Amino acid sequence: MKLQAKLALFSAISKLIFVVIFLLSMPFVLERINLINTDNDLIEKREKFIDMIEDLGVDGLRQEQERAFGSYNILKEEYISFEKTDIDEYWNFIEVTERMLEGEVISYRVLNYTFYVDGQMYLLEIGKSLSSIRQTERNIQWLAMILMSFFVALTMILDLSYVRYLLNPFQRIVEKKLKQAPDSENFNYELTDTSTEDFRLLDLTINDMMYRMQSVLRKEREITSNVSHELLTPVSILQGKLENLLNDPKISGENMEKITEALKTLGRLKSIVNSLLLIARIENDQYLKHDEVHITELTKEVAGELQEQFEAAGIIVEMSLENDACFVLGGNKSLIFTMLLNIIGNALKHTPKGEKVKITLRTEQNKRVLSIHNTGVFIKEQEIREIFERFKSFASESKQGHGLGLAIAKSIADFHGIGLLVKSSIEEGTIFELTFL
Amino acid sequence: MNVLIIEDEKSLAEEVVIYLSSAHYLCETAFTGREASEKISVNLYDFVLLDLGLPDYEGLDLLKEAKKQNHEAAFIIITARGALEDKIKGLDLGADDYLPKPFALPELLSRMNAIARRKFGVSTNTLSAGRFQIDMFARTVSCEGQAVSLTKKEFDLLLYLAINKNKVMTRMQLYEHIWGNELDDNYDSNFIDVHMKNLRKKLSQHAAVDWLETVRGVGYRTNL
Repeated sequence: MKLQAKLALFSAISKLIFVVIFLLSMPFVLERINLINTDNDLIEKREKFIDMIEDLGVDGLRQEQERAFGSYNILKEEYISFEKTDIDEYWNFIEVTERMLEGEVISYRVLNYTFYVDGQMYLLEIGKSLSSIRQTERNIQWLAMILMSFFVALTMILDLSYVRYLLNPFQRIVEKKLKQAPDSENFNYELTDTSTEDFRLLDLTINDMMYRMQSVLRKEREITSNVSHELLTPVSILQGKLENLLNDPKISGENMEKITEALKTLGRLKSIVNSLLLIARIENDQYLKHDEVHITELTKEVAGELQEQFEAAGIIVEMSLENDACFVLGGNKSLIFTMLLNIIGNALKHTPKGEKVKITLRTEQNKRVLSIHNTGVFIKEQEIREIFERFKSFASESKQGHGLGLAIAKSIADFHGIGLLVKSSIEEGTIFELTFL
Repeated sequence: MNVLIIEDEKSLAEEVVIYLSSAHYLCETAFTGREASEKISVNLYDFVLLDLGLPDYEGLDLLKEAKKQNHEAAFIIITARGALEDKIKGLDLGADDYLPKPFALPELLSRMNAIARRKFGVSTNTLSAGRFQIDMFARTVSCEGQAVSLTKKEFDLLLYLAINKNKVMTRMQLYEHIWGNELDDNYDSNFIDVHMKNLRKKLSQHAAVDWLETVRGVGYRTNL
């Protein structure tokens, strides 16, 4: 999951939790607040009434009531009653009771208050219907919910866009730097514009690491390339001297054999130097990829080149190449030739007498796959992992190789973006698979 | 034929001189670009072997200059640089061939022979080996008028041996000539023996091939 999505999800979930808690608790809170308000209201009204009694006296109040009486209003929301009572104690409490009014049962919040006026005990009741209280409650609830949703939506949009804005440089660093990292040659060192220090640091650190990696790689290539070049001239001189020595009439037959051995050793040195140079040149992009390479044709050519050697080694070659003239790869023909020669040559070198080498070109999920399968050879897992490393030769003692053939094949494959993969099992043998994109 | 060898490595130049002299070429050497430039302006050469890596001269400039002075000559570029770019530039500037270091002396001779044939229309297009005639243009071999059928590789081997006549040729040299350096990792020089056996068999059906010797532990040699 992407960081941006995670942050958005977290923001949404946390807000949702708050909203749920708020909505669940709101009725209770509102009810409490409403009751307190109502009670305060009732007490206030009681004070007002008592003030009036003090001013007018009970009789005066009666007269006043005669003129404009209405203890219950029509909507039965509030009422007030004031009467003599036999109760012989002071009441001052608020309760919820049900009152029957014109055949209707209505719940009231009622303030009961007793007091003496001129030696007579009076009971004052001031009531407010609960339904009217609940109505207000509901109204407030609705309003709160609407406002709440609006704010939640608003803050989420703000959150999301801010997170997006904030993470934008990070996103660009990922796209531009991390995803391009394998292609170290074309790495883009341009800094991403950001005011977030952490991202800046990340960007700078990636650049720095990449730079160091590149310079190490470059140095390694330079050394390989320079050393190899420097070796070419001395090898040339030695070879010339030995070749001339071989034709010196004063040299005995025995010494001629020794010179030949020396030439052979020199030949190995030469081929190591040439192979290292070849790899260095491929890795330095010193080859053009302007040829149209017909893989089918080229494979046939390579197999033909090796045909006699396969015959001499008693190995059976089976070719099954999809006859597809359209399969043309843009690349360097001589390099691809070398790659195929090294891989098929490797099969030649390692396949025991009487076994088979099967060369197949087929289409698999729209990709051309060339496989070179030799029976009777098993390569251990550990060795497969190292098979393309330089100077790793698992050849039997009798067959000499400098262990660069497959390393060359691998660098040519990489150079052309061709997938190269090895599978091996005791039953099946070993398969080298080239996947062309 | 006159050859100028421009090579700053004296000991390499000496070996080239020894080998080419024994094949009857007249050799001169120049160890610096300046020396080479002087010699080119004074003398006429058939071949100029030019090492591109001269300390005092840009090799390709020297090639341009030499071409102007000595346009009849054939130029073979010899270099340790081996970069493709150099090869293309060199050939563009009119070099006739390109030989990367390290090269085998018989290979140099064989290339010069091929250029001579191509460029100078050397009067003898045929080489003789015993009673056999090797036609280098038509790439055929005949024995007193009778055609000998050879495979391409067998013909190449025979021609290579005949050009480097009376020289000891190692199996490796022969192998490299036929298959190039490409196959170095799988190099198996004994494979040459198979081809030589076939070649001998085919030739001996027409005439004796006692001029084609096997040199024990080394390779082959013609005795012409």
